[in-house]
Amino acid sequence: MSARPELDRSAPPHPQELRPYEFPDFIRQRLPDGLTALLAPMPGAPLLSIELAFPAGGEREEPRLAGLASLTAGLLDEGTDQRDALAVAGYVERLGGQLSAAANWDLGALELELLPRHRSAALELLAEVARSPRFDPEEFERARRNRVTDLLRRRDRPGQVANDQLLRALFGPATYGLPLEGTPETIERLAREDVLSFYERHYGLADAVLLMAGDFDPAAVLAELEERFAGPAVAAPPRPQVALPPEAEGRRVVVVDRPGSAQTELRLGHLAPGRLHPDWSGLTVLNTLFGGKFTSRINLNLREVHGYTYGASSRFASRLGPGYLTISAAVATPHAGAAVREILAEMDRLRSEPIAPEELAETRSYLLGVFPYTLQTTAGVVQHLESLAIFGFPDDYYRRARYLARLEAVTLEQLSQLAQRHFRPEQAILVAVGPATELVPQLEGLGAVEVVVG
Amino acid sequence: MEAPTLGPLRQHRLDNGLRIVLEPDSRLPLVVVNLWYHVGSKNERPGRTGFAHLFEHMLFQGSAHVPGTDHFRFIQQVGGVANGSTWFDRTNYFETLPAHELGLGLWLESDRMGFLLPALTPDKLETQRAVVMNERRERVDNQPYGRASERLSELVYPEGHPYRWPVIGTMEDIAAATLEDVHAFFATFYTPRNAVLTLVGDFDPDRALELVATYFGDLPGGPRPDPVVPVPFATTGEVRDVLTDEVRLSRLYLAFPAPAHGAPDWYAAELLAQILTGGKSSRLYEDLVYRREFARSISSSVLPTELPAHLTIAATVNPRVDEGELEREVLAELERLAANGPREEDLERARNQAATAHAGMLQSLDDRADLLALHATYHGDPAAAFREAAAYDAVSVEDLRRCAAALLAGPRAVLTVLPREAAS
Repeated sequence: MSARPELDRSAPPHPQELRPYEFPDFIRQRLPDGLTALLAPMPGAPLLSIELAFPAGGEREEPRLAGLASLTAGLLDEGTDQRDALAVAGYVERLGGQLSAAANWDLGALELELLPRHRSAALELLAEVARSPRFDPEEFERARRNRVTDLLRRRDRPGQVANDQLLRALFGPATYGLPLEGTPETIERLAREDVLSFYERHYGLADAVLLMAGDFDPAAVLAELEERFAGPAVAAPPRPQVALPPEAEGRRVVVVDRPGSAQTELRLGHLAPGRLHPDWSGLTVLNTLFGGKFTSRINLNLREVHGYTYGASSRFASRLGPGYLTISAAVATPHAGAAVREILAEMDRLRSEPIAPEELAETRSYLLGVFPYTLQTTAGVVQHLESLAIFGFPDDYYRRARYLARLEAVTLEQLSQLAQRHFRPEQAILVAVGPATELVPQLEGLGAVEVVVG
Repeated sequence: MEAPTLGPLRQHRLDNGLRIVLEPDSRLPLVVVNLWYHVGSKNERPGRTGFAHLFEHMLFQGSAHVPGTDHFRFIQQVGGVANGSTWFDRTNYFETLPAHELGLGLWLESDRMGFLLPALTPDKLETQRAVVMNERRERVDNQPYGRASERLSELVYPEGHPYRWPVIGTMEDIAAATLEDVHAFFATFYTPRNAVLTLVGDFDPDRALELVATYFGDLPGGPRPDPVVPVPFATTGEVRDVLTDEVRLSRLYLAFPAPAHGAPDWYAAELLAQILTGGKSSRLYEDLVYRREFARSISSSVLPTELPAHLTIAATVNPRVDEGELEREVLAELERLAANGPREEDLERARNQAATAHAGMLQSLDDRADLLALHATYHGDPAAAFREAAAYDAVSVEDLRRCAAALLAGPRAVLTVLPREAAS
């Protein structure tokens, strides 16, 4: 190659001209019998992703029957009026498809991914599974047995134990405080009639949404949906109002004793707004700079400065109902106390010191720039369509201009106010899962310490 | 299987030996910069296991023109996503960037390829040593069944085989790594000659090549590392061990030597694993998890490795079920497959599942870059990625029968993990 001038490596090259991304165009249509379809055609996409969601999440179950919503969703594909459980699985798997049936706190959903040429078969099967589940007594008993086993195994994973303890401490033995999967006691209590009645109440067409992204002709899909999803537009009952327990005064420390653990799982959290709260956009920016990216404050502090952990992060739970903040890190046990004190100090700093304009600018451009990363896959697009449908956002919510406007509306003054309001180290619950004899002395002075058996 | 929808591929080699693979795709204004170094844990020496991975961490600690942790900062402040990973055979570094920031990615990668050592300090090594020890605790030592795969590798590979030790390494060896080790490793392996640079996304190939030449062209090519020659597997025999762990259910692991990635029988082994445990209608899942409830879960996999590695079957045993009985049932299914081969419908299902998985991998730019880089690094030909669909299609019922028979005829390792309470 020809000689070139000496290269200046001291600074990154100037970027080329920005080519802005755009959220894919999609169609939103409510069908005559109630089902609402959000369809995003992506010509050339190698996979087709479909989700059929119902307002049948864990927020709608009574705490004494915790696990009912997830068990009901899980039983949808365990047999229909046409096929038994193995035949459903055999049919989907022979198409090379992946079908899942599960609930979260907000919804119960069927998700299916396969090659685009199997679309019609996929829609037919989804309709069959959603509309004529068999809830076979044997399958119900098998699901309960498996669930009880899985709940026992939950105690194998220290990170899971820590999450469960935090939620229990924040929300009590109530909705959001018990695992979505239930407890061995609540699962024992469940009867098949509970599943039937939960299904009848929450899996009607009027509030169902079908989300789809991939290579398809929307007109053809709408015609198929009208045929597959004809019937009475039964509406679900309104969302229950979940009463929150009063927050305890002062910080509390829960040590879950696991002698011999190789490490300590830390969780620090408190109640916080859910997804529909007007502060959410600002909180997203604030959380991202605090603990939502590699270069966040707590990760740089705990990992890159101190080497206490492989990674520290924070998040606000995104759901319809009341949320919470969690700060997570798995730390070397001898440094557990020091790590907690650094986290608390970072929370204090966020509340007491002004945020530099550059840090806000970096965080904004990060959030703007990474958005299209989530649009590479059809499943990623479906995820966004689900948010539009479930949280009731307008169709242009993810258009680049709107997204940018929300980020730009967040000011330094606002972030300071949000930090005061939504980061509350004095009322946090701290959970530490590890050897209590080593942990308790390190955590003294941080709040009333309670030791429980792991 | 349907043909994969990869775009037009371009390949180049700079004078210093750096191989370049370009695949333009303008569906989204994103670009992936993906750099594979042909070095992994199999290039380590005894007493320094885990070093390739610890070294990977050091590549995020700055270079001559990129201070401290600014590598991540530069990428994240423009909305990029970056990471690296270490494997037996290779170490990769990759960032997905807004397309107009391609130059930034090339500047960052070339700086640490050419100018890492001036920025290296003892403090950085100490901090990353602590981080990696915590990574090991988080991912291995404090996970249920966390040490099983390491023990299984010790059982299935002969003494001295480079896949016998874990990629993350042992605590003792992580503790023993020195700055001199970092210098020597860098000089030997982190060279243009030993790397493949893959760009996938929204760029003009001519302009991109020019930028690559600008940033990488003047780096010295470096030595050609010696190939790693594996110790051969035993030809037959069974090795067994039992571990205890803080778990509620026992788990049974079976491991068998398997072909290297790219061999026709590797694709057969992949489909065999799928036939055994891929989904509820797979042979072992349907029988042992669903019908008879001997196991709560079952899975199997074969690794995409450069040298022959192993196929694993792992089953989590339901309460009150005997691990020995489960083991006999798994082997009996393999024997049936070795005698008669799978049914046509088993093969059809596995093929279609593989096609869906393959299509899924083509969706994200970084997965696609990794696939191209894998074929370029191990097989000298990124375009071989285009032929994977045909390789799966070429597998016959008889190939699968032969594959199952070969597993049964060769050596095998059996590991059981028991709940500590039940064992004591």
